[in-house]
Amino acid sequence: MSSALNIVMPGERITAVEDVAKGKRIILGPGLRRVNDTVVASKAGPLKHREPNTFWVDNYQRRYVPARGDLIIGIIKAKSGDVYRVDIGSADSASISYLAFEAATKKNRPDLNPGDLLYARVLNASPDIEPELVCVNSNGKRGKLGLLQDGFFFKCSLNLGRLLLRENCPALKALTEKLPYEIAVGVNGRIWVKAHSAAETVGLANAILSLEQAGHSEIDKVCDNLGDVLQA
Amino acid sequence: MPSKMKPRLSRGVLDMKFMQRTKLKVAKEDDDEQSRALYSNELNTKMLNSNSNFIIEPSYAICEGLIDGRLSFRGMNPEIERLMELEQVEKDGKSRPEQPKEVTDQEMVETYYANQAPAASKTMGKKFSTKNEFHKRKSNEQQRLHKKGQFKKPRQDDE
Repeated sequence: MSSALNIVMPGERITAVEDVAKGKRIILGPGLRRVNDTVVASKAGPLKHREPNTFWVDNYQRRYVPARGDLIIGIIKAKSGDVYRVDIGSADSASISYLAFEAATKKNRPDLNPGDLLYARVLNASPDIEPELVCVNSNGKRGKLGLLQDGFFFKCSLNLGRLLLRENCPALKALTEKLPYEIAVGVNGRIWVKAHSAAETVGLANAILSLEQAGHSEIDKVCDNLGDVLQA
Repeated sequence: MPSKMKPRLSRGVLDMKFMQRTKLKVAKEDDDEQSRALYSNELNTKMLNSNSNFIIEPSYAICEGLIDGRLSFRGMNPEIERLMELEQVEKDGKSRPEQPKEVTDQEMVETYYANQAPAASKTMGKKFSTKNEFHKRKSNEQQRLHKKGQFKKPRQDDE
């Protein structure tokens, strides 16, 4: 199946996926549902396929729906008892236990305040309960997770976040050639960037936001122009 | 009916100190049975033994194979860059091309059989040897074992 534009609409039965499913097990990603033995789209957008057996609908969306294992950026809203309330852009705010940080104990709490940015992993996500986050991996190590200090934070569509996170994304490479920077991209459509000076940081943010309208095909062209956006 | 019932332990027995583990087990069994009875008319055979070819995956990150979003370039955050490097090494390690061989397969086979094949014939030969020969060989081997190998200095490029 080609990955060219193959638009599906909510409620549409997708026979192409059903045909594949007859032969082997397939993975239905977001935007596709199984109804008995048929596959039905639940979102509008291009149907995507990744070898060997994954299908999903890549619709335009700004509202994040938590899914287990996602790496996201959250804003701490409040402390409440043993947990921090974190805004992750989903319908419900998430919670993170103060023990879910590296080297945190009951006596030694992490020093976090409302307004702080966290790069965290979604530990569990279910429609019925609020999502729970963690800032450590299964070995209790911090890894890349944790507090994001300084820098500049902005929101974008979920699609832009995912576009930047594809393997061998040309955009980040193009920006690397211009200036040193660090970045955190959450799949919840939130991006945090930091460069050496404030002007560079803002330029970087503008450059990334200029990719918002770029499709997967024209991204190379836009990346060539990123340098101009940075200068402006 | 009573003859069909499973034998049950009385509460008096279960309350004894050494029966605590069994008590938990019995309680769990009871619970399971109750919940099964509760939903038994809701479940149909299709629900019980259907095997579907569909796996539902609600995360875009897994479907699209996205990378971790915390990145640093050109020395902005050395800590993150070190982690990125380690990850890269791990990834490359999986698809690393085979190292060139110092000993060809043919040579390996020859030396292997040169060393191993006599061992097999020796074990069989032992069966047919006399006791006298056996003792002789044993004392020979012991002498050989006593000779301690000298320490060889490893080459610089070996690790």
